[in-house]
Amino acid sequence: MEALVIGSGIAGMASAVRLARQGVHTTLASPAPSGHSESVMAAGGINATLSGNDEGDSVDSHVRDTLKGGCGIGGEKAVRGLCEHGEEIIRYLESIGTVFSVDSENRPARRAFGGQSHKRTYYCGSSTGKQIVSALIMEARRFEASGMITRRMKLNFHSALIKDGVCYGALLMDSESFRLEAFYSDFTVMATGGQNALFGKTTGSTLCDGYAAGKLFMQGAELKNLEFIQYHPTTLETAQKKMLISEAVRGEGGRLFFVENGKRVYFMEEKYGEKGNLMTRDLISREIYGCGKDVFLDISFLEGKTIDERLPEVRDLCMKYRSIDIKKEPIPVSPSVHFFMGGLAVHLNHETSIKNLFATGECASMYHGANRLGGNSLLSAMYSGLVASDEIAGRAPHRKYPDFSAYMEDERKGLKKNRDSKSTFPVFYIRDMLSKTMNNNLGIVRCEKNLDEGLSDIDYYLSIAEKIRYDRSVPPYTNFSLKAMLTLAGATIMAAKERRESRGAHYRSDHRDTKDEYAFSTIVSYDDGGYSVRFDKEHSYES
Amino acid sequence: MKVNVLRREARDKHPYWESFIYDGPDDNTVAGLLDYINYNDDIINDKGEKTARIGWECSCMQGMCGSCAMIVNDRPVLACEAFLRDFKEPEITLKPLSKFPVIRDLMVDRSSIHESLIDNNVYIGKYSPQEDKDFEQDYTAAKCLKCGLCIEVCPQYTDGRTFYGAPFANDCYLVASRNRGKTGEIAEIYDEHFKKECAYDLACDRICPVGIKFTASMKKLNSIKRG
Repeated sequence: MEALVIGSGIAGMASAVRLARQGVHTTLASPAPSGHSESVMAAGGINATLSGNDEGDSVDSHVRDTLKGGCGIGGEKAVRGLCEHGEEIIRYLESIGTVFSVDSENRPARRAFGGQSHKRTYYCGSSTGKQIVSALIMEARRFEASGMITRRMKLNFHSALIKDGVCYGALLMDSESFRLEAFYSDFTVMATGGQNALFGKTTGSTLCDGYAAGKLFMQGAELKNLEFIQYHPTTLETAQKKMLISEAVRGEGGRLFFVENGKRVYFMEEKYGEKGNLMTRDLISREIYGCGKDVFLDISFLEGKTIDERLPEVRDLCMKYRSIDIKKEPIPVSPSVHFFMGGLAVHLNHETSIKNLFATGECASMYHGANRLGGNSLLSAMYSGLVASDEIAGRAPHRKYPDFSAYMEDERKGLKKNRDSKSTFPVFYIRDMLSKTMNNNLGIVRCEKNLDEGLSDIDYYLSIAEKIRYDRSVPPYTNFSLKAMLTLAGATIMAAKERRESRGAHYRSDHRDTKDEYAFSTIVSYDDGGYSVRFDKEHSYES
Repeated sequence: MKVNVLRREARDKHPYWESFIYDGPDDNTVAGLLDYINYNDDIINDKGEKTARIGWECSCMQGMCGSCAMIVNDRPVLACEAFLRDFKEPEITLKPLSKFPVIRDLMVDRSSIHESLIDNNVYIGKYSPQEDKDFEQDYTAAKCLKCGLCIEVCPQYTDGRTFYGAPFANDCYLVASRNRGKTGEIAEIYDEHFKKECAYDLACDRICPVGIKFTASMKKLNSIKRG
């Protein structure tokens, strides 16, 4: 049996290693090494309910918090599976050498995270993602050495090989030779991350552009809950991007304030009490947006030694990029796009609407509903990889593969034709306009008028994209990825338009209430250039 | 500000110099500068000619992934952490790392780092950590970016055929600290591909962008009893 995993961050490596352990030969394909994936940027921690957690904490409590954070549309079965496996995942990560911070009793240490009733976020300083990635790279290396994992780098996803609703692998483009290569597989797992590039520069990686989800959507895969985009409340503006100031700062006691009449106003504490700084990310982002003032995050009251021990990366980042000494002064913060709760619609086993095509990690929509809790993304990246792999390992391989040679020849000819054509319209110009449209019209607060404007912009860009054909100043991938990214952007705005209520990270100034009639996931499908949005009242993806 | 870039279309093409004029913000980094030049509607060189976008790798843009390692005014750096204000020269000159094959412009192929680790079975296997776990050293060692800056400044590293450089020693340390049963085996591999040729110049310690103390790892590996 042969599996193909596309994307080599935490979700991709978790899938590949689990498949290899069960005897499935796996090709792990990605444009860059795992150490370049967005996973290394996950800072704060990973949630789990272990036997030594605080009294009263339990899997049930974690489930309740996650469902509440997701505003009731996270899907209880899926969330329960996620939370029940927290301990197993922490133990597994320890066993492959993840360097968890430890408490005075030499047990993995925990910190408090937003929207949670108990302290259950296990962490590695403030570089939890990087530490997990390093451990998984080492574990994947074991299977690479034994031949069970074949790692292929410098490969970009082009399209899936699909016939009659079944996936048989993918076409990938070598980013050096620009040649298309077919990878046939019995099962294909997408682990390509979120759609950051639709918004230009976010807190995440420049490699996460949403192309794969957009292209698969155009090839027939359904998308889910695209309108739920998490704005992280605390990011630091720098000349090159907005950088995440980890929730760990608030977990360690950090306080948000603005200055009015020369005095600090701790607005979150005033409005929401003692735990105000640890409310959910969507709520804090809206409060910061709504206050209309420069907001700061203060942690300077902590002992310098504690900051050195628990928040060294935050300390260094602020000093390096803004010359801010967090031991002495507050950090200026503002919200920025951070995480996508929406993505490829998957069933409980992480299979998409295309048979034998799976999706894991942030490119899949599962668990987080309308808003994700801090610490649940690393958990879900790991868990989704395990679920998909276990499902695949129990299935039978294809009996035979259809002939895709005509499709591949058409695609190769199309790319050559485009390369040979001349166009004066730069792709980057359209990508810049796309990010302006998305930031302006799909921000923290939305309304019908803005969404209509955004959709009209996207339609216009799509009409231009059809005519560009090829921009010779950029590699082929940047060219052919444009249309699917624009299509994904259009689908996202359509989903936001159809959800005429406010829920979690989706807030509409013209529909401020949460309404029972919308207490379902949105599913978007593509039909020859058109988007069709429905609410999943039958819970078709919760089985 | 004039920016000179050592360019190359592909591995099998000859390198050439091309210059650009940067008129963006002064508080930018080299990564920000490259973005600024690349992401204008068109990319124009200092002669006013349209040209191809400059090839370089980036992902996190904040010193956490190591993609953007390159040479700026003869200093090996991560472009996203190298501020223009820290270069006193009137011009900025960008070159790819010199110890790896160039793929295109400032992009290099660092896969040899990964391959040497696979070929020598540098992985943990059965987890049985040393009793005297050194959290600080383990935590920092696990942050290795495999960016190649330490290899760039290493006086001993040439083509990576026998001597694999500091990233190799670093991962040997991580394995030895986590699998007591593999210390002897890993010490031999470390001797063969690192210790035997290391000149203890320690430039690797000084350049590491995440502050790995390779000397501390080497000390622990050197202290392992050989068979």
